[in-house]
Amino acid sequence: MMNFMILSAALLAIGIYGLLSKRHLVKILISIELIAMGASMNFILLASSLNMALGEALLVLVFSTDTCLTAIVLALLVIAARKYGTCDIRKLAEIAESEQGEGENE
Amino acid sequence: MIVELIAVGLVFSACLAIYLDEAVYSIASLACTIVFLTLLYALNGAPYAAVFQLALGAGTLAIFFLAGEMLSEKPNGKKPVKNILFVSVLSLLLVLPSFFFSITVTPANFSSNITFESTLWNLRSIDVILQGLVILTLTLGIVIILHEEERGEK
Repeated sequence: MMNFMILSAALLAIGIYGLLSKRHLVKILISIELIAMGASMNFILLASSLNMALGEALLVLVFSTDTCLTAIVLALLVIAARKYGTCDIRKLAEIAESEQGEGENE
Repeated sequence: MIVELIAVGLVFSACLAIYLDEAVYSIASLACTIVFLTLLYALNGAPYAAVFQLALGAGTLAIFFLAGEMLSEKPNGKKPVKNILFVSVLSLLLVLPSFFFSITVTPANFSSNITFESTLWNLRSIDVILQGLVILTLTLGIVIILHEEERGEK
């Protein structure tokens, strides 16, 4: 019998690595998805191994919320990429900083 | 044995989803991760969670494919095979502790002989509130997006 807590921790670690090291917006969102998958896997498999239906029922609600969140964030990403012409999160941060600086000067 | 193989596949595809440069390949790896996760749920006695994960995962992947196609540029060089091998070894190393180490879990002292259906029925008020919040968030998101587009056109 394998240990699912350690497996979900591995998924969490991969997601956090992606979140810290990648610059592309889609990659960052994929990393967030992996973190959410690790957390939900831990919850569901622990609940099913302890024979508790509550965990599964609550996670069904979490799945739908998570999907809505992903859809909205992706839509915002598409708008940001169209407006500024880049998907690099650091370039976007620089543009935002320069825009803020121009606003303060005016 | 099959659960262990699925676990290895799950971590390997998750590593590839982060490692690969081209967004479409990365999203294809994420699709594999979702399929492996669904199989893991189904084999470990959580069939409802497996069905929901697969259905919502399909929707998420469709959105990801569309956004990935729109936003990504083609990378210049190809990843060498040696690096892919390194990723596979790394994923194997990440999975191995879950085969050999164990964490003892003490269950709480309350009755757990409740079915999934009765739990969902008992939690229907929370369900309605949460779904309402989801719809509200979606509406707010759409309003913000439309407002931004209108401002951009001006």
